[in-house]
Amino acid sequence: MKKKIVAAFCLAMVMTVGGCSGTGTAAQPESSGSQTQPASVAEPSSSSDASEENSTQESASSTASSDTADASSSRDIFAMDTYMTVTAYGPNAEMAVDQAQQEIERLDALLSTGAETSEVAQINANGGGTLSEDTTYLLERSLDLYDSTNGVFDIAIYPLMDAWGFTTGNYTVPSDEMIENLLPLTDANNIIYDKDESSISFAKDGMKIDFGGIAKGYTSGRIADIYRECGVTSGLINLGGNVQVVGTKTDGSKWRVAVQSPETEDDYLGILSTADRAVITSGGYERYFEQDGVKYHHIIDPSTGHPANNGLVSVTIVSADGTLADGLSTSLFIMGKDKAAEYWRAHSDEFDTILEDEDGVLYVTEGIADDFTSDHETNIIRKDGDT
Amino acid sequence: MKKKDLILAGAVLLLAGILALALRLPKTENGNTMKVTVDGEVYGTYSLAENQTVKIQTGHGTNVLVIENGSVHMEEADCPDGYCKRQGTISRVNETIVCLPHKLVAEVESDGSTTDDADDAPDVIVK
Repeated sequence: MKKKIVAAFCLAMVMTVGGCSGTGTAAQPESSGSQTQPASVAEPSSSSDASEENSTQESASSTASSDTADASSSRDIFAMDTYMTVTAYGPNAEMAVDQAQQEIERLDALLSTGAETSEVAQINANGGGTLSEDTTYLLERSLDLYDSTNGVFDIAIYPLMDAWGFTTGNYTVPSDEMIENLLPLTDANNIIYDKDESSISFAKDGMKIDFGGIAKGYTSGRIADIYRECGVTSGLINLGGNVQVVGTKTDGSKWRVAVQSPETEDDYLGILSTADRAVITSGGYERYFEQDGVKYHHIIDPSTGHPANNGLVSVTIVSADGTLADGLSTSLFIMGKDKAAEYWRAHSDEFDTILEDEDGVLYVTEGIADDFTSDHETNIIRKDGDT
Repeated sequence: MKKKDLILAGAVLLLAGILALALRLPKTENGNTMKVTVDGEVYGTYSLAENQTVKIQTGHGTNVLVIENGSVHMEEADCPDGYCKRQGTISRVNETIVCLPHKLVAEVESDGSTTDDADDAPDVIVK
């Protein structure tokens, strides 16, 4: 009888602990309910109990439990002037996150306009130069986007960004004369790209380029590729609010991606359920300065040289292609609602979008309309032209 | 013997129930929390249920976070751009305030006590 009671107690323990660890927040990457759960060592939830003990910014979650699919790895990285978190689940999570960090650092060193040694900074300083594999790809994509958006996506905008102080933080409103003088230098049409030689030069002195409009989307796309090569089927890439999700959550459900409201920091426009997509938002609320009571945001319209002001306050692009999502988020913001809808109708197989106008009304393209939930008034943009 | 087995089975279930409750109890006492990391390392975790001022002094500089009525905002910072002070208030799970120059991140987390929150919370926030 005594044995039976002992066995009963053990059984009770197993039932209790086993029951707890399998429920609830196991698929939430950032939940941290693990302190009281002894059986949760290999759970993803332990990933957020980050690294008290080491300085390599690793989260300590991917324990050696490679026999279980519950392994996960998450890492915080400060790079590309922002704060990034990359998370992967599954047996190869740690390897995938290692490689992701290396890729971020490699691309940052290559593309930063701030670091004098970067390839882009060298091209700007020398008025041209030879392109590496990554910058060749980025330049070709940039010039394609320039064409397809009728010049709205423009990597040559850099001298104007500089004049407004968005590259340095020394914000100022440039004079009309200064803007007039700079506008001829900020047209990507004057970029000379020699495909055979993989080289770039500028038709006008003083031109400069910046891949900042697509660099993060390209980077998240590269990380998604790395995840897939590593066999990771569930992962979350957050590069300073530019998000790309790989696969689904570990329980097979779609990722829940919230879009921040531009008006109130503490609110969402809505939540999108999605898998294997980049979700990238542009809005004037992210980077701006105020002068004489007027707000000036960082999305400069290349046709005017001033911050874009075409009726939209937030544009989110949803696409399997991170580079495209990044580039189009600023482009559609500059275009305004009607042109953005028109552009989507011509490219609806490549992306979907969520727009918010200055009255707080949302417009969602029909490809994702069923996956987007919101408390706001929401209209559906349809391919046949009705809004 | 059969009767005793039944009693034992009942006892097992009862014990399991009591243990389950006991393990859950501590979680219901805590509200949502704010986790502060500097250089990717955890600096501290603070309850949002309690109004408090959190001063963070590191080699990078000084930041002062204020928890007020369940929301967090950056009250003071001696970073060059002061951008963290303009990031407003946060209170929802996964929301962050980031001070890049000081490599400081304040993030709202759910400690699991408010299960509704955890289920409804998005996995990630795009901005």
